[in-house]
Amino acid sequence: MSGIPGLRWMENGQASLSGPLLELERRLERMFLSWAAAEGAAEHRFPTFLPARELGKLDYFRSFAHLVTFPVALDPAQPNLEQFACGEPMTDDGEIRLTRAAPIRDVLTPAACYHFYVAFQGETLAAARHVTTRATCFRREAFYAPLERQWSFSMREIVCIGTSDEVKAFLARREAAAEAAWRRIDLPIEWKHATDPFFQPSKNPKYLAQKLDPVKREMVFQDRLAVGSSNFHRNCFGEAFHIRRAGEDAFSGCIAFGIERWILAIVTRFGPDPGAWPDLETG
Amino acid sequence: MKSEPEVRAALRDWVVRTNGQVSPADIRDDTPILERRIVKSLDLMDLILFLEELRGLPIDVEALKPGVFRSIDAIWTNFFAGASV
Repeated sequence: MSGIPGLRWMENGQASLSGPLLELERRLERMFLSWAAAEGAAEHRFPTFLPARELGKLDYFRSFAHLVTFPVALDPAQPNLEQFACGEPMTDDGEIRLTRAAPIRDVLTPAACYHFYVAFQGETLAAARHVTTRATCFRREAFYAPLERQWSFSMREIVCIGTSDEVKAFLARREAAAEAAWRRIDLPIEWKHATDPFFQPSKNPKYLAQKLDPVKREMVFQDRLAVGSSNFHRNCFGEAFHIRRAGEDAFSGCIAFGIERWILAIVTRFGPDPGAWPDLETG
Repeated sequence: MKSEPEVRAALRDWVVRTNGQVSPADIRDDTPILERRIVKSLDLMDLILFLEELRGLPIDVEALKPGVFRSIDAIWTNFFAGASV
């Protein structure tokens, strides 16, 4: 797969795109953005880091210890910097020899929509709120594969925060639009119930709750690769971030698209020749 | 063996007691208690232990299927009304 023109793969689980692949990425984005526009969703652009204390409100670190990536910096004390700079800062195989690290208080974005709940915390919503963002997300994995499983990848999300009924209706509309699109362009994708990839799931009551009351449906390409998902968060984020709607903790839901995986699905299904790729702009 | 009304009342009492904020009038037998997070994920193991005690039979957690705890109705159907989950 790394032989696709326009794809440059790095063994640390990252890819760069150019040429027709980058154009395909832009066409996919226009399709996703047209679905966001159908909801009147306001677009937001967030920074790369999230404060760790915010994700801590979700017990994120216990639930996803195996996925999280932290930004690390040196302790700025002069002796520490001198010790780092005057020694051998890097080994021959490219590993940084850290001296003392500064306290870690941030996390590299693990999923795009977290930013919204942090941004809207403490608010009381007079109506359902629809928003969208695209973020570079970071997840450590046991292995990486180009466009399929990357340490950093791109996620487009469309989010609704509102009452339970508002969120469910939103998810139903967005699921129907996504399904109509993949049927029209003839991508073999099917919905499948899934759970979040918890650390030690059998020890995590949240995993049991998701299993017993499914809240996540994945768009699974060729029966093996999830290219997106529809997620009903119930009022988990509303409660954790004190977002209120209609006199109670707000409910929320999102539909998320893994952009590199959509690219891979199209290239796998239609081949590397851009002339054979489907028109994504209509419908 | 408790009667159906006794079981349903015991379930409602447990839900109200565990939640601590809702009143019995808030909980209908078809209220989706997980979806609305009236019963939260952290309460699930307590609920399973409570059900085991209430019906006098163990529950195989690995075998639990989606929806079995959806509401008091679903719990009655899946764990008491002649079912053997």
